Amino acid sequence: MSILDLFRKKDSRQPVDSQVDRGLLVFAHTSEVIRAEKLLKAAGWTIKVMGPPPEIQKGCDLVVEFPLMEKLNILRTLTESGTPPLEIVPVTGPLLAPVDLFQVKDFGNHIMVRAANMKITVEKSTRIIVNISGGGCPDVPYIATQLIGRTLEEAPAPRDIGHTLCGYALDLAHQEILRQCSP
Amino acid sequence: MSDVIDTRGLSCPQPVLDTLKKIEAMKSGELDVLVDTDAAKENVSRAVQARGWTVRAISEEGDGEYRLQLAGGQS
Repeated sequence: MSILDLFRKKDSRQPVDSQVDRGLLVFAHTSEVIRAEKLLKAAGWTIKVMGPPPEIQKGCDLVVEFPLMEKLNILRTLTESGTPPLEIVPVTGPLLAPVDLFQVKDFGNHIMVRAANMKITVEKSTRIIVNISGGGCPDVPYIATQLIGRTLEEAPAPRDIGHTLCGYALDLAHQEILRQCSP
Repeated sequence: MSDVIDTRGLSCPQPVLDTLKKIEAMKSGELDVLVDTDAAKENVSRAVQARGWTVRAISEEGDGEYRLQLAGGQS
């Protein structure tokens, strides 16, 4: 590394990790969370959709975790696109830490990932999706027929064929199970 | 005479996993699966059909309980 590299402007769009002060964007409705996630990811920020900490009573059942140092830029992006958050909360202690949306259960030959109200179960050896369950949205049966019996690689992403909150939650679970089952 | 597995009282996805384990062990034949939720009825049906088995009949037995009659393989 040259001495000039020390003074070079760093990319401010750093991934969210435990070393970075984090904040939470609280929205009134899940649809706003989904829109904000899409906007911020498209703008290059690494953010995560999480469950709200128990201390936060406002908003919906999802929050967006973001690097707090980017608060102003992110707020500007969201406001300009008509999706301002209800509130921005800095993560100041363990009680305000967001909750991981995912629950993973190992059944031996199968693994299940749950995100919010949706579950996806995969056979480990073949990577075939054997079950989709949870939720009560009208598109769940259709999504299930499109995914069950296919491998993780063959199956369409739930976000591409779903239109509801259940489809969105299932897509999160699908992404997580892809991560869990990656070589 | 069909084999029978009783998945009543089990939460999702256990009815599906028990059924898949059983049909894998059987390879072929007839199997009745007892479930006690609509979701389990749908999920087990989808899972076995994806493995090439057939749902021959579904009969309601009691309060929200179902018997799924499955067949597969060379039977």
